[in-house]
Amino acid sequence: MNIKINHIAKMEGHAGFMASVVNGDVKSAKLEVQEGIRLIEGVLVGREYQDMPVVAQRICGICPVVHNLTAVKALENAMNITVAPETVKLRTLMEHAQIIHSHALHLFFLSLADFLDIDNDIKLIGKYPREAQIAIKIREYGMEIVKVVGGRVVHPLTNEVGGFKKAPDRDALQKLIINSKDILDMALELGEFFKTIKLPDFSRETEYVCLEKGGGYAIYDGDISSNRGLHIPVDKFENNFHELQKQREVIKRIEHDGQSYMVGAIARINNNRSRLREKSFKYVESLGIRFPDYNPFHNIWFQMAEVIHCVEESSRIMMELMHLNLNEVITREYQTKSGFGVAAVEAPRGTLYYHVDVDAKGYIRNVNIITPTAQFLSNLEDDISEYIPKIIGLSDTARQRKLRAFIRAYDPCISCAVH
Amino acid sequence: MATKKVIKKKKIIKKKAAEKKAAKKKTTAVISNSVKKNKSAGEISKKPKMAIISLTSCEGCQFVLLDLGQKFLDLINQVEMVDFRLLEDEDDPGVNLDLVLVEGNPVTEDNFNLLLAARKRSKILIALGNCAAMGGIPEIKNYHEGASTIKHVYKYIHGIKNPPIKEIDNFVKVDFTFPGCPISGEEFLRYIPELLKGNIPVIPDQPVCVECKKKGNRCLLLDKKPCFGPMILGGCDAVCPTSRMICQGCRGLRPTGNVAAMKNMLKTMITDEQFENTAEIYGLRDDIEAREK
Repeated sequence: MNIKINHIAKMEGHAGFMASVVNGDVKSAKLEVQEGIRLIEGVLVGREYQDMPVVAQRICGICPVVHNLTAVKALENAMNITVAPETVKLRTLMEHAQIIHSHALHLFFLSLADFLDIDNDIKLIGKYPREAQIAIKIREYGMEIVKVVGGRVVHPLTNEVGGFKKAPDRDALQKLIINSKDILDMALELGEFFKTIKLPDFSRETEYVCLEKGGGYAIYDGDISSNRGLHIPVDKFENNFHELQKQREVIKRIEHDGQSYMVGAIARINNNRSRLREKSFKYVESLGIRFPDYNPFHNIWFQMAEVIHCVEESSRIMMELMHLNLNEVITREYQTKSGFGVAAVEAPRGTLYYHVDVDAKGYIRNVNIITPTAQFLSNLEDDISEYIPKIIGLSDTARQRKLRAFIRAYDPCISCAVH
Repeated sequence: MATKKVIKKKKIIKKKAAEKKAAKKKTTAVISNSVKKNKSAGEISKKPKMAIISLTSCEGCQFVLLDLGQKFLDLINQVEMVDFRLLEDEDDPGVNLDLVLVEGNPVTEDNFNLLLAARKRSKILIALGNCAAMGGIPEIKNYHEGASTIKHVYKYIHGIKNPPIKEIDNFVKVDFTFPGCPISGEEFLRYIPELLKGNIPVIPDQPVCVECKKKGNRCLLLDKKPCFGPMILGGCDAVCPTSRMICQGCRGLRPTGNVAAMKNMLKTMITDEQFENTAEIYGLRDDIEAREK
């Protein structure tokens, strides 16, 4: 029997799904990527390094912030440039805000309807107007931070190698700080609502990989770590994690020493939940989940926990910034030089990794971008292969619904994965 | 999660919900009203039929629309949204359209088919953003190694569609363009009502500088920063120069934009090669070359 979904909507980018089942055995399960190639790494070769964040962030319309940050950090590492601590704080703030608005979109508008058997968000909004309004408000809060710091939500403008072109407006930050309390209350309310959503049972052990650092819930920096004891600096990532392209495939999958693994909110919460901010940590505890938790549907709840955490953390960072001289973030003079640099930042969907090789005049010799979706694609397919036998008895429509829900719970970003 | 816990939590939530009822009333009313309106008018079905389709792209222009939040939902309520796959799982019934917005570049065979079909079924076809209108970031490859660019990225290239990147007006007639990378949400809201009535508006022929000055920005050119603002079509609220980012021309040349004068002005700041390179980022270079002929 073949199970085929031509096109999965409510997801970033274009993909379908295909599985073949023989006598109850799943012989293959594959996300069929229908995204065109843009060759972002290819077009960057030979260009001046300043173009890299501008071009690379256009890989993705929903997570341009993290592409911008990672590109800039990789270039700074390549050219051995140190930026002001205020700059690092501001970038960290941007990434938390990125996670807030991306998660809020996925949680409510892309994934929720799947668990309520609704196939259109206008109907969803009509049925849950209060929750919809809250989700929009939380999203707007995250977007407003990106706008105040980055100058624009989709494809921000201010962050560059060496610092920021412009410092954020103090009054605007102050307003956001005041707004934070209400947003946190709303996030907690939405969290309670999500707890009432019944998520399907399914579990398969896997390896969880994310950034980790002492003293906090790693988002902007840290070492690569996993629940199986791996702990390596970011510049060793490509020694253990290998990109491989299968013939005719436009996503280059990543495997950890030949095995599939998982990244994103579910990996971060599994590995680092003890470092969450107070209210978020309590929220995770209140879910009554026993860790390690291997149910990929729980990614939804964990994204919710991260929204709460990121609101708490953004508010804290903004309060710190108010005591600092924001003009310190303005781009400092630096020397262009040749070098090889790597960087990783936690994107909403998992660790985003860049390496770049720059020549002495600042022209890009080579660049590689490894996205979260490329990392979890094999894991998704391995999970689905085990999930299909559990839903094989359902009608075609019901089975398709379950599979769509499964794939969307992963929150794949196909535009990122094929870049 | 254990079922008992769920029930307990549900009770707590119910209690909380009751407490917050008063606060809820206001927002609930606003949204349910608009949804009701949608239903009642939907039954009469006199609303313009609209679709938003996405070819190969970052989908950032669609997100600009979504990021309008309530304003976008209000717009959706004024139309019959036949296809917008970011928000709905229902199949596109394939009916004729009054308006279709096309984002991205045609790269795959599906992209081409979707684009051609969109033209056939719609009265008005609109290019949504820089990729559809000017080729965008992916067009950079055209200016250098072309199809060979793929060798920097993939080991196995057989069976991967890798056409030269072309603006969608090479394949279909385009009635209107929302320019920019990404488009401006405010500009979208300004022109979409006319378009829904079947009228094609014209974006005023004025440079980015007009809005830039209005904002009180210090001119980047005075600081020897090679800003393309003077030759580029305004309407973006000078979002880049306001963040001290030079204009790199994502909205395209304005009809009376003077390329020669611009080049002359930038001579003291950048080389001709750097000028060309910058113009490549948003697919502007071929338009400049055509203008110069």
